[in-house]
Amino acid sequence: MDPQQPEPVSYLCGDCGAENTLKPGDVIQCRECGYRILYKKRTRRIVQYEAR
Amino acid sequence: MAAGKGPSASKADQYAALRELYRPHIDSFDYFVDEGLDRMLLSIRPLEIAKGHLLPPKRDGRVDVPLYPQECRQARTSYHGEFKVDAFIQCNDGPSIRQTFNFGHLPIMLMSKLCHLRGADSEKLIFHGEEATEMGGYFICGGMERLVRILILQKRNYPMGLIRGSFVNRGAGYTDKAVIIRCVQDDQSSVTVKLYYLQNGSARVGFWLGGREFLLPVGIVLKALIDTSDREIFTSLTCCYSDHYERGKGIVSTQLIGERAQIILDEVRDLSLFTRTECLLHLGKYFRSVMEGFDKDDFETVAEAVLKDYIFVHLQNNHDKFNLLIFMLQKLYALVDQTASPDNADALQYQEALLPGHLITIFLKDRLQDWLRKSKPQEVRKILSKTSTYVGKAIESMIKVGKVNSQSGLDLPQRDGMTIQAERLNFHRISSFYNSEGAIKDFNQIKKSLIAHLVGAGMAQLLPRIERTGPPEVLHVHLDGCIVGSIASPKIEEVVNHLRSLKLLPHSGIPEDLEVGYVPLSLGGAYPGLYLFTNPARFLRPVKSLLGLSDGGPSIELIGPFEQAFMEIQCPDGGDGGRNKLFPATHEEIHPTAILSVVANLTPWSDHNQSPRNMYQCQMAKQTMGFCAQALKFRTDVKAFHLQTPQTPIVRTATYSKYCMDEFPSGTNAIVAVLSYTGYDMEDAMILNKSAVDRGMFRGHIYQTECIDLSAKSRDNVMEFFCKSNLSRETTTAIESDGLPRIGEKIFPNELYYSVCNNLTGSVRPIKLKGSEPAAIDYVAVNGTNFKDRLQKANIRLRRVRNPIIGDKFSSRHGQKGVCSQLWPDIDMPFSANTGMRPDLIINPHAFPSRMTIAMLLESIAAKAGSLKGKFIDATPFASSVKKTDENSCTSDSIVNEIGPMLASYGFNYHGTEVMYSGVFGTELTFEIFIGPVYYQRLRHMVSDKFQVRNTGRIDQITRQPIGGRKFGGGIRFGEMERDALLAHGASYLLHDRLHSCSDYHIADVCSICGSLLTATVIKSDNQKAKRDMLGLPTIKPPKNFACQACKTSKGMETVAMPYVFRYLAAELAAMNIKMELRLSNRAELPTSEES
Repeated sequence: MDPQQPEPVSYLCGDCGAENTLKPGDVIQCRECGYRILYKKRTRRIVQYEAR
Repeated sequence: MAAGKGPSASKADQYAALRELYRPHIDSFDYFVDEGLDRMLLSIRPLEIAKGHLLPPKRDGRVDVPLYPQECRQARTSYHGEFKVDAFIQCNDGPSIRQTFNFGHLPIMLMSKLCHLRGADSEKLIFHGEEATEMGGYFICGGMERLVRILILQKRNYPMGLIRGSFVNRGAGYTDKAVIIRCVQDDQSSVTVKLYYLQNGSARVGFWLGGREFLLPVGIVLKALIDTSDREIFTSLTCCYSDHYERGKGIVSTQLIGERAQIILDEVRDLSLFTRTECLLHLGKYFRSVMEGFDKDDFETVAEAVLKDYIFVHLQNNHDKFNLLIFMLQKLYALVDQTASPDNADALQYQEALLPGHLITIFLKDRLQDWLRKSKPQEVRKILSKTSTYVGKAIESMIKVGKVNSQSGLDLPQRDGMTIQAERLNFHRISSFYNSEGAIKDFNQIKKSLIAHLVGAGMAQLLPRIERTGPPEVLHVHLDGCIVGSIASPKIEEVVNHLRSLKLLPHSGIPEDLEVGYVPLSLGGAYPGLYLFTNPARFLRPVKSLLGLSDGGPSIELIGPFEQAFMEIQCPDGGDGGRNKLFPATHEEIHPTAILSVVANLTPWSDHNQSPRNMYQCQMAKQTMGFCAQALKFRTDVKAFHLQTPQTPIVRTATYSKYCMDEFPSGTNAIVAVLSYTGYDMEDAMILNKSAVDRGMFRGHIYQTECIDLSAKSRDNVMEFFCKSNLSRETTTAIESDGLPRIGEKIFPNELYYSVCNNLTGSVRPIKLKGSEPAAIDYVAVNGTNFKDRLQKANIRLRRVRNPIIGDKFSSRHGQKGVCSQLWPDIDMPFSANTGMRPDLIINPHAFPSRMTIAMLLESIAAKAGSLKGKFIDATPFASSVKKTDENSCTSDSIVNEIGPMLASYGFNYHGTEVMYSGVFGTELTFEIFIGPVYYQRLRHMVSDKFQVRNTGRIDQITRQPIGGRKFGGGIRFGEMERDALLAHGASYLLHDRLHSCSDYHIADVCSICGSLLTATVIKSDNQKAKRDMLGLPTIKPPKNFACQACKTSKGMETVAMPYVFRYLAAELAAMNIKMELRLSNRAELPTSEES
């Protein structure tokens, strides 16, 4: 657990759908097709909702 | 592939009716692309233009990559294409050079010819992140969907006789009568010419040029137009009158016309203008300083240009202009002599639509001319180097803001509000944007319109229709505002009928949308003539023609509003509409529902409702929370209301399936019991079954998209970007290492949900969630467009739960709205004796007698029968009127007798009632209860968005009173009228409490000697404080001592409770050099004034 290394975040490309993992400071661009709008993936953490 | 092609082809047809709604927008933009652009460029002087190019949208940076609308919405950019113009430039008699000017980008309408999605099938649309039913017709500017409102304008190229009080103000001698014609050129730009009547019998031609109205004697214009003699003018003016018939029937002119013609000619003679050249010189002198670009030309050229550019611009030939002016004079005199009635400018008959493509054409022309004007004084090289891209930006901002910024006003009725945002609340709302012609914005403020006068369209003019007798034996024939000839009146009906039959023939050369406006001769009615229109921007509607073709059967004819006022159209409602035998019906409505709009057509059996209730439903349908979008995943609307569990209505009209409403349903079939239960259903309140709500009835969400662009709002020019603080290692927050929240995470108010890092200081600024309710993160998109290295632009969509709670608004489809008053437990709801069913919803029987929404009762029993049978029930209004009498299938005389037996066959009561038991006591209810499924809509007005409470909170900095506004946690104003009410009740303690103690209560120190409120100053007791400091004792706060600064003493200081604003008032007055003096006393009565 190095405090200086933030964990990377994965995104999905808005055009081709490829998964991109970016670190802070990386260029916001799909590595496969160069599209510049990326969607975040749903969190893997447990989320709790009230269904009432 | 053949097998696959079948269903897709039928699917395209499925949306054909829907597409028809959007067609005027898209077709007019296509017109702009195909023809309007070229025609407009041709008419621009003095530039010689070869060709204009408008290119389809392309993604920035790369040349041949198409830009799709979805990307524009996501990135909050515009869906636009490059606009270039090739023009020839000639310098000092040198060879002309072809030069390409780049005018920036023009917005492209979705689904227009230049859109990449044109003609795309559902699969392709879904692939590109659109709705399967995407219809286009709007623009995307800055990520917002904007659509151009269709305004109503005066009908083009038709001279209208009007009486308006404002005409008198034109000058001395003017009357309130004039004939106005709005002339429209080939490129859709228009110039209005007015012909005013003067008290002396003459007339003036008026038109606007360079911000002021020019008024010319009509004689000069007549003589300047063509080489003519006084005799020709006189005979053409008086041709519509003959002494022989005198004031016979159908005469439109009187013997006065000869005298008036004399006056007109005398006017010109008095100016000693006799020939055309003299008139042109006279005009040229007058206009050379005003006309632009004619400084070096001679007077005649200037005058010719004025006549060409401002007098009847729709006509090219001066002889045509002359004839039209003569005709307008004749109409004006008929109006003055009351042999013809004035036209009603508010009637649809004299109106047309302003279409998006036409608006863009004329605005672009105006901007290009403006650009030319600005660059004219500069050198040629400067023109070439100067950036011209702002022309495109002006068009884009017009669509974005809706404001037409132009000096000339473009002859439009309004300058702002040209576009609106296309809200996708539900289908009703969207369709009403397209299906309506917008009234002019400040309709009520315009003095021109005759609102509050009840005028039957075309009725008053029509009534004294007469047989053919007397002159004018010839009627003028107009084609698009040009007099093309005349026809003898006995033959005219034959001609009209022939034209109408040619309209129906496919290859007759007569356009199928030709408007044959035959205004018959009448006594004091509309000015007669045969007016033919082929121009664009007219309203059209289909009716059945009964005249019939050679092959027999009736066929569909397209008619316009001008001609329909003079046509005999019968409605298949069983009656003849009070028509007499002299004038038999020539046309028939296709269906009586033709009078209803798309939204009004969706109300089941609206013919059984009281009409205001149908109107209320049309309003409420547009506020319904429905299934807003199928492509919700890709949508970035600022606020979207979404109903999670919609249903298709069991009782529906034909329109419902025609427009594929099942794609976007907007309600629920709720089991509605009509009874007075628990008392919580009084006054239009309704009780919802709590278990039904728990099962998902009316459940909804609000999706709010926030677009955070850090580059746009950077503070002090310091770059900011999204990032998470390195220092905090806490994992409880929703913020991930990129500074943006995790999708699916639930955020509570005042919790952090994204953080921003300052590039200069490196400090991290977290942003808290505003509002008072939790939200879930629905989606996060990062956008790297235009920003090379740093993460600066992101869309965050929040999802807020909006389950039904007390105070939410619901409505049936019959204008029966109500507010949820209780979520009643299922076990305590009344239940049916037969089925054991509990209602989802209880409404009070008092909702019916005064409102008379019989269709809601019909819907209830019909839906009950339909759900038992497993079939949808057709509830198209006026169905019984169009039913063929010989049909055997339906013999019943009413809807109840049609549905009743169906219910009875399933063992239910014939009239839809059921025996019920009280849910609380278990006893049988005395009366049978009317119960059945009714389609209910949830309206978007919800308490969670509206409630406003406060006890303490923020106060205003200056007045120290509580602030207003729900957003800031402010209170509700307790205003003057509320104060009056409390005063009237004598509730003075309450009043004091509300307006003083709970507001800006303040204890002020007042000097009783000088009476000043502002001079109190604190006396510093330094020595005491210093002593305590020395002794090391804790400094206690000494009792504050005040002294009057003016009197230099603390003797007279008193404390007075007062509102803080009073003190503020004293300070404000002091700033204006006014002293306010308080006279203090302990007595109840006022202190006696010393001076008086």
